[in-house]
Amino acid sequence: MERELRDEIAFHVAMREEQLREAGVADADAGTRARRAFGGAAKVRDELRETWAFAPRLSSLLQDVRYAARTLRRNRGFAGVVMLTLAFGIGINTATFSIVNAVLIRPLGFAEPDRLVMLYERLAAFDDLAGAPFSPPDFLDLAREQQSFEGIAAYVNLSVELSGRGEPVRLDAAKVSANLFQTLGVQPLHGRGLALEEDRPGVDVALLSWGLWQTRYGGDPSILGQTVTLDRRPYTVIGVMPAAFEFPRRGPSSNNKPASVWIPMGFTDQQRQARGNEFNHGVVGRLKPGRSIDQARAELDVLASRINANYPPVAKNAGFSIGLSAVPLREAIAGQIERPLLLLLAAVGLVLLVTCANVANLVLSRVASRTREIAVRTALGSSRIRLVQLLLAETAILSVAGGLLGTLFSRLIIGALPASVTDTLPAAREMSIDLRVLAFTAGVTIATSILFAIVPLMTIERGVPGPALQDETARTTAGSRRHRVQAGLVVSTVVLAFVLLAGAGLFVRSFSALMTTDGGFDSERVLTASITLPRAGYATAARVRAFHEALLTRASALPGARSAALTTDLPLERYERRMLSAEGVDRALGVPPSTNLSWVHGPYFQTLGIRVTRGRAFLDVERVEPRRVVIVNERLARTFWPGEDAVGKRLRWGLDLPQNPNPWLTVVGVIADVADGPLGSEPFIHAYEPFSQFPDFVLDNIPSAFGRHVKLGVRTDADPRALVPAVRAALRDIDRQLAVESIVTMDDRLAETVAPRRLSALTLSGFAIGSLVLAAIGLYGLLAFTVAERRREIAVRLALGAEPGRILRMVIGQGLRLVSIGLAVGAAIAYAAARAVGSLLYQIDSHDMLTFGTVPVVLVLITVLACVLPAWRASCVEPIVALRGD
Amino acid sequence: MGTDESKPADLLQGTLELLILRTLATGEKHGYEIAEWIHAASADALSIEEGALYPALHRLEVRGLLAAEWAVSANNRRAKYYRLTASGRKRLKDTTESWRRASTAVNRVLAAG
Repeated sequence: MERELRDEIAFHVAMREEQLREAGVADADAGTRARRAFGGAAKVRDELRETWAFAPRLSSLLQDVRYAARTLRRNRGFAGVVMLTLAFGIGINTATFSIVNAVLIRPLGFAEPDRLVMLYERLAAFDDLAGAPFSPPDFLDLAREQQSFEGIAAYVNLSVELSGRGEPVRLDAAKVSANLFQTLGVQPLHGRGLALEEDRPGVDVALLSWGLWQTRYGGDPSILGQTVTLDRRPYTVIGVMPAAFEFPRRGPSSNNKPASVWIPMGFTDQQRQARGNEFNHGVVGRLKPGRSIDQARAELDVLASRINANYPPVAKNAGFSIGLSAVPLREAIAGQIERPLLLLLAAVGLVLLVTCANVANLVLSRVASRTREIAVRTALGSSRIRLVQLLLAETAILSVAGGLLGTLFSRLIIGALPASVTDTLPAAREMSIDLRVLAFTAGVTIATSILFAIVPLMTIERGVPGPALQDETARTTAGSRRHRVQAGLVVSTVVLAFVLLAGAGLFVRSFSALMTTDGGFDSERVLTASITLPRAGYATAARVRAFHEALLTRASALPGARSAALTTDLPLERYERRMLSAEGVDRALGVPPSTNLSWVHGPYFQTLGIRVTRGRAFLDVERVEPRRVVIVNERLARTFWPGEDAVGKRLRWGLDLPQNPNPWLTVVGVIADVADGPLGSEPFIHAYEPFSQFPDFVLDNIPSAFGRHVKLGVRTDADPRALVPAVRAALRDIDRQLAVESIVTMDDRLAETVAPRRLSALTLSGFAIGSLVLAAIGLYGLLAFTVAERRREIAVRLALGAEPGRILRMVIGQGLRLVSIGLAVGAAIAYAAARAVGSLLYQIDSHDMLTFGTVPVVLVLITVLACVLPAWRASCVEPIVALRGD
Repeated sequence: MGTDESKPADLLQGTLELLILRTLATGEKHGYEIAEWIHAASADALSIEEGALYPALHRLEVRGLLAAEWAVSANNRRAKYYRLTASGRKRLKDTTESWRRASTAVNRVLAAG
């Protein structure tokens, strides 16, 4: 287009030249005169550029951008602060959004995931869970009778030892129904899935996960048809699952460990018949097209009563009954984490608001300092739109730069997330910056940029120069409007900072309350190890017990070990849950008669620092011979024998009926309640038996790993970590092929369970501090600019004899006035907001006085600090210099 | 009639546009021809600053009142020829009317007592 224009003008000039020559003017003169007659070609070009609707708009924008860039380079301080502020706000937002995205929004990776439903049994005894896993006979009944689902499939986590090529390693695996992959709608990447006929005991086929296939077998497709050794038995590999496939999904409930190997469920005849047993199978189903989950639920209610009918009369007479429930898979996975995450998102949103307010404030101050420039431009004919464009260009550059920095920043944050956090979040592995996140960031950036452009717009006078040019300190209506807007912005940042600080304070207090909770045991200086004995090599009860004894002996003899013991589950975990009957206790107790049950071997209570409050711990002889003894926790004693001494009382497993074949066990001791879930959860009723009483026939015959989980606890004199090599060596001595799952201190295990709460407290604190800094910057900025604006006024005052101290106080007073408004509003909002998060707090009242008292003090202190420098500068203004200048 | 004619600086601009439109009513012309025609038709009274001509032409083109295309001129040079569009023709008619009315009113005022 430029070329065209040039050609046009050239043609015109040429014509003029010709005409002149024809009129008799000399050649050289003709050229000059022609050109002169035309006038400034450049000016013509400029004007012409403006008239073109599309291209010129862009080129003037480019002009503005270049000019803006130059201006920003001259004002590096301003540009730097704004960009960093934006980067911080956008970075935090993007990082959190990525997390939320990965957890809640990202598709599950299954075909039509909205039709997938998790099914649960509802048992009165398991009231503390949202729903219980299935027992095999109940699952099979349901699978046979149900009509609402295309198919339902069961799965259960198990731990297997993978040996053969390379180091033996313990993996999370899952036993799955043959139709599981089909139900989820996923095809293997290589090979095939399970055939229906393969879903029976004795079929040793396996599917590998993509990750395992890559790391251990080098991604070699010839693995198909070869065998791998699981729990010392050969399994034929029939397929490899795709990389994105993860099942079971990570989550808070049971059966939540993504498997590296899938093998057929293969219920044994015994499992099929044993009613009321093994409530530990997850069940997922796919709704038939057109069926709603409510319709399915209605059918489940009907089927539940039918399944109940299949229970032996003894159970029904005891008041035992099951219900069935269904929850959409997406909800089940994300459910328990949703609220804290949304809370996090809200906090992040607040930080972004503070960021925006701050930057708007900074920009406004910039506008104020450029009033003269704006006035001049207006006088020279710049339209209002051009002025806005100019400012927009500047804020656009800042926003883009801030957005880019922010994206980088968020990458850093996500990369720095500790493993303890990502482990508890489903789909954590997939957390990365993706297009949606980028879009969100861009959206936020653009919105921020527009917000800034709009805010200064409110303060630009209607293109009328004059007053602004003459006297900058004149209180024009626009000027005081701007001041009010800026003051309002600062107040709002204080408000937001208050809310975030209060929130952080509450969560930090909650977390420290959690950490100081008495879990009922002493976690200091205890080293733990997790082992699962494979069936191969430990096929009989005798072998298992021999292992127990060997390990106990060796561990106790380790130098630096004060005592050692074994158990099926350490504190903060639970193992088995059983029905029990307490002697002499009326069945109609209104309390479901079930208890957690652990087996221990050796001086367990002493090793773990668990207090024995009545009676005694297990004796050595009880460790070796089954003596029908049991130790209970205080809760159990209180529940079944309130007000009495539980020692000497008897209980037995199973329902309280004459046909119950289980022997009566005598309570020989009562211990203090020990947390059997994450720290902070209510300890459940808990009983302990010596491992000698674990039934031989289970170890001999039942194919699952039940009873083969061994947790070692060693109380040490000095740092427990020093004993790690010794423990490893001891285990290697006993069985070189044995894979050890983990050797960590009890403190580390504890820290793991509180990791999510720690994270909340930490991040909120981070946000709070960030917003506090931002608020301080905002206040500082505002006051600094105010002082700069009023230099002449201050100089006059000083010249007229005012004390510098008064000026100081005036500025600080201005700052404090703003802060106090912010405190009042902030307190009100924080008060209301605290109620919303009350349920997430542990033991801390949502209107905790300590928090609500400390926060204002901190805010005032920080803001006073922010005021000091500008105030000092103000009082130091030299009257002569100020009066002479602008 | 739009906000163009209200500002004093733009009155002249509006007049120039009117003149251009009138010039092109008699047929296609390129920029130089337009300038010459106006000069001639006004009996040498009006001489357009050539620098102002082309912006005006392009403004009219952008607004769709003129259409333009490149062609070879009488002396074998490349030149951009402008012509009126239908909306240009209509605009010419409307503007001529309002101009006539305005000038009549002004004349009356000037002639009054």
